[in-house]
Amino acid sequence: MSLKDQIKAILQEAELYKKQGLLGEAKDKYKAASDIIYRNDQIKNRDSLIAAITSKINALDSDSDLLEHEPESPELSEKAQDLIKNLFSFSEKKDKDEAVLEGAIALAKFGQFDRAIKEFNDLLDKDSQRVVAAKNVLRCYVAMAAYDDAIAQYEKWKESGQFPPEQLEAVRSYLSEYLNKKGIKSQLSMPDTVPGAAETADLAGHSGGGDEETEFLDITSVGITLDTGPDKGKMVEFDVNFQSGNMLSLIISSKDKALIEGLQTGIKLSNIQYYSPIAIFKGSGIVAARTEISNGPKKGDFCLDIKIVNQ
Amino acid sequence: MAIFNLKKREIECKIVYYGPGRGGKTTNLEYLYKSYKKQIAGEMVSINTEGDRTLFFDFLPLGLGQIRGCNVRVQLYTVPGQVKYSSTRKLVLRGVDGVVFVADSLEVRREKNMLSLQDLQKNLKDYGKSIFKVPLVLQFNKRDLADEGIPLMPIDLMEKDLNRQLKAPTFQASAVKGNGVGPSLKECLKLTLKSLQKEFKWAQ
Repeated sequence: MSLKDQIKAILQEAELYKKQGLLGEAKDKYKAASDIIYRNDQIKNRDSLIAAITSKINALDSDSDLLEHEPESPELSEKAQDLIKNLFSFSEKKDKDEAVLEGAIALAKFGQFDRAIKEFNDLLDKDSQRVVAAKNVLRCYVAMAAYDDAIAQYEKWKESGQFPPEQLEAVRSYLSEYLNKKGIKSQLSMPDTVPGAAETADLAGHSGGGDEETEFLDITSVGITLDTGPDKGKMVEFDVNFQSGNMLSLIISSKDKALIEGLQTGIKLSNIQYYSPIAIFKGSGIVAARTEISNGPKKGDFCLDIKIVNQ
Repeated sequence: MAIFNLKKREIECKIVYYGPGRGGKTTNLEYLYKSYKKQIAGEMVSINTEGDRTLFFDFLPLGLGQIRGCNVRVQLYTVPGQVKYSSTRKLVLRGVDGVVFVADSLEVRREKNMLSLQDLQKNLKDYGKSIFKVPLVLQFNKRDLADEGIPLMPIDLMEKDLNRQLKAPTFQASAVKGNGVGPSLKECLKLTLKSLQKEFKWAQ
């Protein structure tokens, strides 16, 4: 193959890679062609050829730079957001509110925070979803690095009286710890009357950086060995209703109320089995909140939040 | 995961097109959308960047009609192939029932194919699934570029790189021309429905 044909073939390859969107590969080929031309004095119009190739390489660099700095989660159209909401809520549960919650979580996971916040806010009127929806609103603000907005939202909820004290404390505790992990010092005002508030306020986060949502396995159920009551020593298993990072929310039927009499807010549980699709592991946890659901289809049942403290 | 309504005898399953960036996943769906009008059950939706790279996913619903007494619907998705969209890939893969892995036959993309397959294996494992058990076909795309004098990997090299342990069905393809696109999906559907029949025992 003549030198001219060799260079032509390399340039054609570069053009094809560029057309395919393979910018790195195209750049490598342009450079290879440029090197060959540079090394061969006898090539006619050598300087203008090298200049032309350099210009192409610069254009590729510019395109690569644009790609690198594209927003990772641009705001999508409402239609696209609706699609995400519908396609990525996997709940097979019949409860409409839980399906709405899952859809909102899907939106947040795709970075559609404004829409997700709107959807979560719509759930604040539902007693069974209030705490988990509120936590996710705050999580969205923190994900957008809008820490002041997250704090302001919590204070607004406190002033509104929309949350019973125990629920508000669960939210306060969650936000406080989340901000702590981000290195943000905050002085969130305590709810007016909270049983066991001192213990809850002392909850220490475990070490570990990064995005806690993606660091934790999906836990489907937990087995708690009861320390008190008539079933002391017995392990009872509860399904996980919702998980946010290392915080698990369980719904306990009113029929099982006696089982959880000893599980007051702040209590540390040293022997918990966590069940996930790929592993079972032992650990401990702290009861972060325990609230009775006062209305809706699960009225009379209990929502128990367990914070995993080691895994 | 597949949704099976025993009362209505309806089954809905999810197939994901996986593979390295710019390998032809979206082109596969675009060809299917253009060519299989009878089976298309809605619009194809693409959430992509201004540069036409898949940002979140492409989605295409298919209706296959009655198969062994069950009304079968399939949702096809593609994932974004760029390395930086790793968490989105994992999100889209959740609940997958079958996979078409679209490998790029260009010699310069050899390593990217293998990294993408490893990525698939890891994400499936995180969902408690094994790449060896999930219904999976491999598509060796862009075979048409050999006519333009572009260096492609020989098929036996791609088989060795990607399929030595998996032993999945493989198809040569050119998604831009439509070659191999239908057969790849057909085989993936066959494997997926066979697996679901075993799981749900819905065949009459």
